[in-house]
Amino acid sequence: MKKRTLLSMAMVATMMATTFAGCGESREGAGDAASDTTTATSETTEATTSEFPGFEEGATIGVSLPWLGTQNWKEAEEMFTEQLTAAGYNPIVQAADQKVTQQQQQIESMIENGAKVIVVGPVDGSQLGSVLEQAKEAGVYVIGYDRLLENTSGVDGVVQFGSVKTGELQAQALLDGLQEWKGDGPYNIELFGGGPADPNAPNFFTGAMSVLQPYIDDGTLTVVSGQTDFTECATVDWDNSKAQSRMDTLLSGFYSDKEIDGVLCPNDGIARACITACENAGQEIPVVSGLDAENESVEWVWAGKQYSTVAKPTEDLVAQTIEIIDSLQAGNGMPATDVTADNGVIDVPIYELPPVVVTKDNAKEVFANDPSRLELLN
Amino acid sequence: MKYIKQVLGGDLRQYTMVVALGLLILIFNIISGGRMLTSSNFQNLLSGNAYVLILALGMLMVIVIGQIDLSVGSVAGFAGMVMALVAKNYNIPWWCAVLIALVIGILAGAWHGFFLSQLGIPGFITTLGGMMIFRGGVIWISRSISVPAPEELKWFGSGYLPEWGPAFTGMNNSTLLLGIIAIACYVFVQLKKHKHSGDATGVKDPVWALIIRILLVAIIIGYFTWLFGSGRVGTSFPVPGLILLVLTIIYHIITQRTKFGRHVYAVGGNKAAAALSGVNVKRTYFLTMMNMSFLAAVAGILFVGRATAAGPADGTSWEMDAIASVFIGGAAVSGGVGTILATIVGGLVMAVLNNGLMLMGVGADRTQVIKGFVLLAAVAFDVYNKKSGKSSIIGRLFANK
Repeated sequence: MKKRTLLSMAMVATMMATTFAGCGESREGAGDAASDTTTATSETTEATTSEFPGFEEGATIGVSLPWLGTQNWKEAEEMFTEQLTAAGYNPIVQAADQKVTQQQQQIESMIENGAKVIVVGPVDGSQLGSVLEQAKEAGVYVIGYDRLLENTSGVDGVVQFGSVKTGELQAQALLDGLQEWKGDGPYNIELFGGGPADPNAPNFFTGAMSVLQPYIDDGTLTVVSGQTDFTECATVDWDNSKAQSRMDTLLSGFYSDKEIDGVLCPNDGIARACITACENAGQEIPVVSGLDAENESVEWVWAGKQYSTVAKPTEDLVAQTIEIIDSLQAGNGMPATDVTADNGVIDVPIYELPPVVVTKDNAKEVFANDPSRLELLN
Repeated sequence: MKYIKQVLGGDLRQYTMVVALGLLILIFNIISGGRMLTSSNFQNLLSGNAYVLILALGMLMVIVIGQIDLSVGSVAGFAGMVMALVAKNYNIPWWCAVLIALVIGILAGAWHGFFLSQLGIPGFITTLGGMMIFRGGVIWISRSISVPAPEELKWFGSGYLPEWGPAFTGMNNSTLLLGIIAIACYVFVQLKKHKHSGDATGVKDPVWALIIRILLVAIIIGYFTWLFGSGRVGTSFPVPGLILLVLTIIYHIITQRTKFGRHVYAVGGNKAAAALSGVNVKRTYFLTMMNMSFLAAVAGILFVGRATAAGPADGTSWEMDAIASVFIGGAAVSGGVGTILATIVGGLVMAVLNNGLMLMGVGADRTQVIKGFVLLAAVAFDVYNKKSGKSSIIGRLFANK
């Protein structure tokens, strides 16, 4: 027995030696993608714009989107796939079904697939920290798309529409609409915010309140429910049905003997939900603002049901993103920009694009170059 | 066939899932052009799925006692959120916040356990309530806004073991040490088993089978040691993977080697018989539910560490992933059957499937469909094979007794 034990022990020992001996070369070789990245990162961190290492044409570009449940994301998915392919890259475009874990894993698999640039439209901008830092260590450029990437050093820049500006435009459109549809004040209004996990949502609200607050103070506008705090007005996950049930509650609770004149809505889905709730409650359609110029809402604007929306043309965002990718590919680094935002860890360069207010009056001009939406205006 | 049987030590059926897992990994590796079996991918695979597998450990015991816990995702999210909030708002050290989160997990489990064991409310209902209570709680206390977590927690959620010692090994030496310990432990256990193998029957297992078995396992462990250890400098076997490994061993021992473990199987197999033979059924129910929520808190902490922030939607539908892992691992819906190790294999099958499909660029929609079919196929195969676990969860719920 003893002999046998010894014998098997010896066998195991030999075997272990052979198993591990074969792996001696590995440390450099094994993660070839990984190891040349260590050098790449050390260059990038200290480098100024001109010294960024470029990469070959036809490189893999990862695009991770939060989901495809609203029109703008679906459009982004199609445009990225088409335009990156047309520009000669090898795109991997994936959507995460609104799940943070799914998105983390998708980004990791993009790094595995050797992506040189990863464009991230985050589900939750603050929950991708370690994954993005991993991308950075692997020498991958990370570009935030449409939403700020917070709480991480692993981001090179963010392309988005000015979100505070968007809020200001929404509020201004609401004021103009009230004047146009409801005559002179005072007006009864309600406020809605977007999904709190989306860092843009509080910014929209802040921008809008900066315009509305003076009118609330002087009595032109009355928020009948008294709910003027972002957390009170927020719509979890940008979920239209949640917005609609909140509107239902507000209408039955505060407007049984009052008319509602306007609703500040952070996007089109919520705008339509509020209009529907008002219709169901037998109210006249209030003036609402919106965002994204979804097809349905463009039709409603044209039909005079939804007063306004704000277009953030997806093609502009995608074009700006691809411009940055081209610049990175050529070895020119991130283009210069003077806007930055503090994401909690670093100051992130922001590439801001101006949004456009759309009402019935200017719809035809705004969508002049957008045949699919122009078709809706008949 | 007989020889294979001797090498694997008898029952082949328990290896079906392991073989399926191995095949899956190989197939994905070929299709993805070698991107599956890389150091970084496997490190990600473990870090990214450790939380589900940890939940599955507790869920196995819950399912074995014939109950189900729907609240684990919410409890995980709640514990993680409390941890992030107290660390941020009260400026207490991170480990204190972790302890608070673990205590919250234990309290949540005691809550579920109380209603199940003392009032006899079915686990399905108790934990359905818990799922709503704690999900609402997360949203309430966070006001639906994500909260950044203490920096140190990152090590638990996505960290690596330290580098030390000589460089000539070409690997992370912590990982190498782990691998060697693992092989040594396996050899020790096998030799001990072999020594006693003839005690009952008088016929010892052949030595050659023992040696081949040890060799096979050692090669597999050796390969994975190399795979995990030879990645980029600074990476190793991931910390969440190590936590999972330690928990797996602990729970394997608890379920297989302790009195409490035997009680769990006894209660799940036949509650009345167990009670008659002196098993404290209430206590077993209570402890199992408490343990589940404790593990949920652990999973929540790991996840927050990896995500670097606690979010209001953390944990949504994690319970489903954990339950799926347990059933793919061959547990019976009627309770009383299932093992920790098979559950881990079941969880890994799901994880590899997810990871492989993602590497291939398959979208979330089709991935879901495929995972659904795999779950069905695995359980159908199992039921067909064992002809046990004939009743369903629904059936149990509406049964009179």
